[in-house]
Amino acid sequence: MILASHGIIGSSIGQKPIVSDSDAQAFIDRVYTAGGTLSTIEADAVNDLVIDMKADGIWTKMKAIYPMVGASSAACAQNLKSSSFTGTFNGGVTYSSLGVTGNGTSGYMDTQLIPDNELTLNDTHLCAYIRDNSQGNFYDLGTNDNATTFRPLFKFNVRTNSNNWESLQYSFDSSQILNTPNTDSRGFYLASRISSTSFKNYKNNSLVGTRTNANNQSRISKWSVNLMASNNNGTTGEFSPRQYAYFSIGDGLTDTEASNYYTAVQTFNTTLNREV
Amino acid sequence: MIGYILTKQEQRKIQGKEFAPFERFNCVQDINDVWFNFVTEQQIPLVKASQYAWVLDLPQGEYVPKPTPNPFL
Repeated sequence: MILASHGIIGSSIGQKPIVSDSDAQAFIDRVYTAGGTLSTIEADAVNDLVIDMKADGIWTKMKAIYPMVGASSAACAQNLKSSSFTGTFNGGVTYSSLGVTGNGTSGYMDTQLIPDNELTLNDTHLCAYIRDNSQGNFYDLGTNDNATTFRPLFKFNVRTNSNNWESLQYSFDSSQILNTPNTDSRGFYLASRISSTSFKNYKNNSLVGTRTNANNQSRISKWSVNLMASNNNGTTGEFSPRQYAYFSIGDGLTDTEASNYYTAVQTFNTTLNREV
Repeated sequence: MIGYILTKQEQRKIQGKEFAPFERFNCVQDINDVWFNFVTEQQIPLVKASQYAWVLDLPQGEYVPKPTPNPFL
């Protein structure tokens, strides 16, 4: 029994859930302070997710985690990892127990997380869990600035009109873009760079693309990461209409960590009956 | 897609303004540079309860987006 093994110590309907992990509890507290609520199932799933990530050594690699639970802006804006980088939703966004959905014209979330300030060059990841299948020229999350010739890009779109997962860390130089053929946007997506010469795309539990060309950028974007759109040099655009059940931003993950991360997030979303 | 049509002055009054905790307006221009505001069904009660309820009385129209810019230019 997962809950028993993870030491759920009590929760009740209608009241703020109490869970065993202090970081999970701090997240739940932030949700309630913000005016949101969580079901006991959501709270327990978050608790198990944190415990699993800590056991796998992934937790410390996270800078921001948005589990998109609680079916409200107040709950979905909260960062599971810490009280920093609380999001703000802008434009048309819909919240449900399945996650958040952009309207494809104006809806997005600003994470306030500026990669150049918070992350280390050649040690970064972006992650999204997408519940519907669509293609288009928009971005699932990301940022870029126009300061250098090849621009420090940090973003992806898992299914463009060309049926590619277009993944960028950190340059649009043709030797740097990681395009992975993809005809179904549903699933767990992780783009991870762990060195100048190791940039990989993972879909679900599989490595689906690798770039080994040396990174030719000296820094990451100075603009904050947007979810369900891209922050293009301070102007948000390319809004996504997809439904998202999870996002994270942080340090790069190895193959083993990527596999363990998929398992933890898939278990989390399966518990919430929203897995794909 | 149907949205609320705003004048430039109306757009300036609400752009980036919070109508509920953690939720802000984000107006966008259509292919003819006309300003549009989009509010989901779920957000309507929140907007109604805010000081910006008047935006729900604005005329509505069909939004045609600008062509997607090439991000690599």
